[in-house]
Amino acid sequence: MTRFAWLQSRSQNLLAAAILAALAVLAAITGVHLSHLYNSLVAHCPRNQDCQLASEQFTAHYTFLQNSFTLIPRLVPALLGIFWGAPLFARELESGTFRLAWTQSVSRSRWLLTKLAIGALATVLAAGLLTIIITWWSSDLERVDSSRYGLFDARNLVPVGYAVLAFALGALAGVVIRRTVPAMASSLAVFIFVRIAVQQWVRPHLMPTKTLTASLLGGKEFGFFSNNGGPVDLVARADGPRNSWVLSTHILNASGHTTTAAERTAFVHKYCAAIATPPPPGGPNSRAVRIADPSTIESCRNHAAQTFHLLVTYQPANHYWPLQLLETGLFTALALVAMAGCYWWVTRRAV
Amino acid sequence: MTNALETVAVGKRYGRRWALNDCTLSVPAGRVVGLVGPNGAGKTTLLHLAVGLLQPSAGSVEVLGERPGSGPEALARMGFLAQDSPAYARLTVAQHLQMGAWLNPRWDGEFAAQRVADLGLDTKQRAGTLSGGQRAQLALTLAVAKRPELLLLDEPVASLDPLARREFLQTLMEVVAAHGVTVVLSSHLITDLERVCDYLVVLDNGQVALTGDVEDLLASHHLLTGPRRDSDAMPSGMTVVEESHVERQSTMLVRADGPILDPTWTVTPVTLDDLVLAYMRQARDSSTASRRSLAVAQ
Repeated sequence: MTRFAWLQSRSQNLLAAAILAALAVLAAITGVHLSHLYNSLVAHCPRNQDCQLASEQFTAHYTFLQNSFTLIPRLVPALLGIFWGAPLFARELESGTFRLAWTQSVSRSRWLLTKLAIGALATVLAAGLLTIIITWWSSDLERVDSSRYGLFDARNLVPVGYAVLAFALGALAGVVIRRTVPAMASSLAVFIFVRIAVQQWVRPHLMPTKTLTASLLGGKEFGFFSNNGGPVDLVARADGPRNSWVLSTHILNASGHTTTAAERTAFVHKYCAAIATPPPPGGPNSRAVRIADPSTIESCRNHAAQTFHLLVTYQPANHYWPLQLLETGLFTALALVAMAGCYWWVTRRAV
Repeated sequence: MTNALETVAVGKRYGRRWALNDCTLSVPAGRVVGLVGPNGAGKTTLLHLAVGLLQPSAGSVEVLGERPGSGPEALARMGFLAQDSPAYARLTVAQHLQMGAWLNPRWDGEFAAQRVADLGLDTKQRAGTLSGGQRAQLALTLAVAKRPELLLLDEPVASLDPLARREFLQTLMEVVAAHGVTVVLSSHLITDLERVCDYLVVLDNGQVALTGDVEDLLASHHLLTGPRRDSDAMPSGMTVVEESHVERQSTMLVRADGPILDPTWTVTPVTLDDLVLAYMRQARDSSTASRRSLAVAQ
């Protein structure tokens, strides 16, 4: 059965191999050049000098490939789910060839598990090689870029986890719906939902977060906003440690509690009266607060720094790999559940 | 001789509809069995139950002394040709034979290669580009080269033109003669099967309407024409299957244990076609009658 499952998937596997080979050649040629550029432009930039210009010169190269390589690893898992996962069983069920397959001298469960295993293996290899190529290509660029987490879902391990889940969801949808195109569409919808849900609600909490308190004076943002002519509120943000992933910033009062909006507007009213006049409601700049005198901002900020401080919640840089492993594990576990669903549906439910 | 296929009160339900209901029959081994019935009679369901593609909702099915679909060994002992002869459109003829060799322990590669050569099929041609007749022949080759003890064919000739139909049945008869395999083939037209089958199962509305050896059935049924008389007045040993009366004349299709001796009857032999139709009509009438009596009881 292994040989037959390979025969059935051979042309699509060879196509994927050809695409990967072409990509590898492209990445090798440009990647070597990129690493020369890094060595000549950035690597020898003295530590105490301003390396900003050198970094910008360096990252201005191959911007098209850079953009492609942030997009491709995010797209490929979904494509593998659509073109490898969904048709795996749906095409057989749709065209009736399952009646040919299930009446050879091979049990239905072996047929299913072999096809799933070959397909999942090909998916892992394709997605894995792709991310290896792309991660290698962009390694120098990421040394310059300080946002370690910026490409979290397009580098290293997680794309492989995404691809396996997309494949398994496609296969499950194919088994249940029994038609290729609806299986493609519905499994894609579920996959996108899971990806967004994990990114929004699960990933930040996969590892315990860390916090730091920062002064409002050192923060990267300090300003005011008024919602449609309402009382003027205070906004401030601070950076997390280098390469960390900042999840939230709260303004705390002297007793260490998160400030309420009322507390903050009262402060603005008292200490920053010159800025506190809200814009006329409904006007063209109703969200912008007119600043009477820029120097008042500084005095206001000094007052604010004495009254409040910032609490930054973040995932530190050294959580990057544990988070990668955990998220990949989570997606792989979900994929195994979906594959078990395929098995249950085909062997237990009468077809 | 054991039975190749035996069902006891088997039923299969799809949602609320019973495709097969309380169906009991046995098919002796070594025969070529015609499974006849109108569209929707349950022929495909019965064959799918026999080959293990479906599980019965009620009753039991036994094929070659085993529960169907119980494992690869049971599957190896039967060959199945599904309706419309499915084949992998993108695989070539040679790859289909390769599949057969990989997936079947009793595969007869020599036979398959010979068969494909005799049929004049190009082994490099993709199955998707074969004609309907060629695809049916390929599917039959796959089913037969498994060396099954029981070969089940679901409407194998329905989609074929008369010439392809003849060639297909010709191939089938050669296989039967050479390997002595039990064959069950279904069709909604008895005329397709008349030439090849020696045993008949008529299904209608999910139930068995008639079953028996073709020669016995033809020998024991007669079409009688004579002066008008009531069917109740028939002698014992004679069962009326169907009757029709005009003013002075009665026509009856009867099943008789012995020869017809009454000289007032003109006796004509029945054709298989007449027989199947008569029993199907009878099954319909009795089922409507029972439905009517149910309605009265309520």
